[in-house]
Amino acid sequence: MLQKKYKLFLLIFILPFLSSCFQIIEEINLTKSGSGRVSLTLNMSASKSKVASIMLMDSIQGYKVPDRQTIQIEMNEAVEYLRNSPGISKVEKKVDFENYIVSLSFDFKNITNINNLTSKILKKLKINAISNSSYSYNARTMTFQRSYRHSKEAVVQYNKLKTEVKNIFKEATYTSIYRFEELITNSNNPLAKLSKTKKAVMINAGMLGLINGKTDISNKIVLAK
Amino acid sequence: MKNLYKCFYALLLTTTGLTGFAQDLSSKIPADALAVATIKGKNLTELMSLKEFNTTFIGKKVLSTLNKIDPSLNNLEDLGFNLSANFYYYNRSNDSVTYNCFLAPIKNAKQIDALYAGDHKKFDSKNGLRTFYNADSTEIAYWNNEMFLFAIGGAKQSYFSRQDVMERFGLTSLNLEVDSSAVTVVSDTTYIDTAIDTVTVEEEVEEADTVEIDLAGDSYINESHKNIQKQKAIVAVWVDHMLGDIFSGKTTGSILSNKDYIASLDNNAEASIWLSGADKLMNSYMPDMYSFKGINFLNGYGAVNAKLYLEKQAIKLSTSITFNDAYADVFKKVYKRRVNKNFLKYMNEDKMIGYMAYAMDTKAYLQEYPKLISNIYGSFYADEIGMATDLFSLLLDEEAISKVVKGDGIFIFNGLSQKEVTFKSYDYNEDNFETKEVAKTKKETLPDFLFMLSTEDTRLLDKLIAYGTKKQMIQQKSGYFELAIPKTPLTLFVAVKNGILFLGTDETEFKSITGDTFVGNISSKHKKLMIGANYSAYFNAKKMAGKIPAGEMGSSKEIQKVNGILTSIGDIYLKSHPIKGNTLSGEISMNVPTNHQNSLRYLFSIIEDVQK
Repeated sequence: MLQKKYKLFLLIFILPFLSSCFQIIEEINLTKSGSGRVSLTLNMSASKSKVASIMLMDSIQGYKVPDRQTIQIEMNEAVEYLRNSPGISKVEKKVDFENYIVSLSFDFKNITNINNLTSKILKKLKINAISNSSYSYNARTMTFQRSYRHSKEAVVQYNKLKTEVKNIFKEATYTSIYRFEELITNSNNPLAKLSKTKKAVMINAGMLGLINGKTDISNKIVLAK
Repeated sequence: MKNLYKCFYALLLTTTGLTGFAQDLSSKIPADALAVATIKGKNLTELMSLKEFNTTFIGKKVLSTLNKIDPSLNNLEDLGFNLSANFYYYNRSNDSVTYNCFLAPIKNAKQIDALYAGDHKKFDSKNGLRTFYNADSTEIAYWNNEMFLFAIGGAKQSYFSRQDVMERFGLTSLNLEVDSSAVTVVSDTTYIDTAIDTVTVEEEVEEADTVEIDLAGDSYINESHKNIQKQKAIVAVWVDHMLGDIFSGKTTGSILSNKDYIASLDNNAEASIWLSGADKLMNSYMPDMYSFKGINFLNGYGAVNAKLYLEKQAIKLSTSITFNDAYADVFKKVYKRRVNKNFLKYMNEDKMIGYMAYAMDTKAYLQEYPKLISNIYGSFYADEIGMATDLFSLLLDEEAISKVVKGDGIFIFNGLSQKEVTFKSYDYNEDNFETKEVAKTKKETLPDFLFMLSTEDTRLLDKLIAYGTKKQMIQQKSGYFELAIPKTPLTLFVAVKNGILFLGTDETEFKSITGDTFVGNISSKHKKLMIGANYSAYFNAKKMAGKIPAGEMGSSKEIQKVNGILTSIGDIYLKSHPIKGNTLSGEISMNVPTNHQNSLRYLFSIIEDVQK
C-alpha cells in the first residue's frame, strides 16, 4: 500500500517535472569486400531520472512499463534471433540499467544481411516500428547506398500518441556513422559530414524530422577504387 | 451537426447586449427532465454588450463561423434569437431512448428561417410552425415565433436488443447459436469463418481485443445495418412526437413543478447545471453495460447542482450534491474532523505559491467504508460483499490505524528548483567519427514542497526509518532524516515533531522545523479557509510567474507568454462547506484583478492572452 502511494506520488507530482529525450546511434564499419560490423545503441541516459521513476510503475498513461527482467528476456530473444540469422555472427548485447543504455552489435558477411533486421529486432522487442530502410554495397563500383523512404504511417502513428509521449521525441536524436577502409570520393546527402580521414561520414538528425519526413537520411557514398 | 453548432453558438451569444422582453421558456421543459443546463442571457449581457462581444477573440471567431453558413450574417442580433433571455439544454431519458434538447427563445423567427435557408437546409412551414429534419430524422428542429427547440434522439441498445421489443418492431434477431469450433482465436484478433448468417460472439471472444467477422454474403452486416436503420426510424417518430407535444402544449407538467429544481434556481448565477439525481443519470446509461448490470456506483447520490457566478471581483463556481440519509450520515461522521491547527505554525505565506489541505476522520472512514461498499455492490453480490466487509472490519483495527494516520494533511507548494545531474552521452572524434562515451551535465527541474500529516502513533514510522537506515536508503541528520530516491535527483527530508509527520524538499526548512526556529507567517484569511473546511486549496499564479526555468518551455517567447498569463491570473481558492442537511457543497473561485471592470470581461481577456 505504502509502495503504491509512493508510486502515485511520483506519478502525480515528480514525473511531470523531469525531462526526457533519447539518442539512437547506428554505426556500420564496412570492409572493401562488403562484410563488416554494425552497432545499434539506444541511449536514454539523459532521461534516466524519468525512466527510473517510470520503471517503478506498472503502467503509465495507458502504456505498460516493462520490468528489468522482461527487458532482459526480450533482449536475449533478439540476440538469439540474430545469432540464427543468415550471415550474422559475433552478436553482443550490452544493457546498462544504471544509465539506461542498450546496445547490440554484430558482424555481417554482406551488408544485405542486415536489411530488414532492424525492423525484425524491433518487432521481437514488441516495438511497433515503421522501416523503409535498406543497405546495399557494390564492390565493383565501390558504392555504398543507404536507402530511406519516409512513411506517412510514421506521422499517423505519431499523431496517435498522447502529447506527453510526443514530447519525448522533440529532443530525441538519431546519429548514423558509416566507416570505410577506402577514401570517400562522394557522399550525396547534404546533411552528411565527412571525417578528417575522409573514411567516415556522419549524419546527426532530430527524430521529429524523421517522423514528419522533413529529414532525409538516405545517402549514396562512392569510395575510391 | 451544423445545427448543433448553431445551438451552441446561440447559447454563447447570450453574452451579447440586447434589451428584451421577459421571455422564459423553462415552463416548456418537461417535468421528467433528468438534467437541465441554463445560460442567462440577461445577466451576461449586463456584463458585456453585443458591440463589445463582437470585438473579442471569441466574438470574431463566432462571427466568422456564422459567416461561412450565411455570408449576409454580420451581426449576432440577426440570428433571430432573443439573446437577453434564458437558453436551456435538457436531457430526457427512459428505458428505450435518450433525448438531448436545446431550447432557445426567439426574437425574430424570420431570421431563423433565413439562417436555415442560407445554409441550404430545407424546412417546412405550416401555420407558423417550422420543422426541420436531418437525413435520418434523428435530429429535428421545431420553431415558431416564440421558441426554437432542437432535439437529438438516441436509441438504447439494451431496449432494442430485447426479444419482445425486436418482435414488436420487426427487427431481425442477430443472436443465433454458433459452433465454437468455427471460431479461431489468433493472438489478439479473432476470425470467424463460417457460412451461417448470424452469430453470437460474446462468449468466444470475450478476451479478444478486436473481432473480425467474415461471413458469407455479408448478411450479418446487412441485417445489422437494417436493424440500425429501423431503430433510427422508430426513434425519429418518437423525437417528432415529443417535439410536437411540446409545441402543441400536450406535455404533462413542466420542470417548474419539481421542487428540487425550483430550489436550485438562483437569479444571480450566470449559468447553471441541475441534475435530478446522479444515480438516475447513471441508471439511465448503465443497462447498456452488461458487466455492471445491477451495480450503481452512484447509489445514494442525489441531485447535483453547479452554478457559475461572474461577480465584479471574482469568478465563482459553486457545486453541491445531495445524498440519501444513509450516505449523508456517513459523510457527517467522516467529515467531523478538521485540519490540525499546528500545521499553520509551519506555513510561510510569503514563500508559498499554493496549498491543498484536507481533513477526514480515518477511524470513521474505515468503520463506514464497508457500508459504502455494501450500498454499491450489495444488491448484486449481497452474500459475497457481506462476507468481504465483515472480514475487512475484522482484520483492521480502525482505532489503531487512525492513530497512525489521523486523516488530515496539507501539501504546500513552494515553487520549483533546479538541480544539476550527470548523464552519459557520446562524442565523436573528427578523425574518423570514433565514438567515445562521455559524462555530461544538465539541469533537472524539481518541485519544492512541504507535506504535513497528523499522526499520534509513530512506532510504524520509526521502524520504517530504522529499516531504511539499515538499507542505507535513509540517512540520519540532526533531528530529521534524508531520504534519497534512487536514480532521481530528488532528495526528500522526513521528520516527526509535535504529532506531525513532515515530508519535504528543503533541508533548511527542516533544520528550522526540528530546531524550533521556524517562523510561521499565515494570514487569518488562510487560517479561516483551512480550519473551516474539510477540503481547501489556494494557488497564487502571480508568484509562480518567473519561477519556471527558461529551459522548460523551449523558447523565451513561450516563457514570456506563460509568465504573462500567470501574472494576469487572480488568486484561486477552493473550499468545501460543512455538510448541511444531506447536502455537501463546495466552491472554487478566482479573484478578478482590480484593473478589470468585471469578471466576464476579465475571462475574455485571459482567453485572448492564451490564444495569442
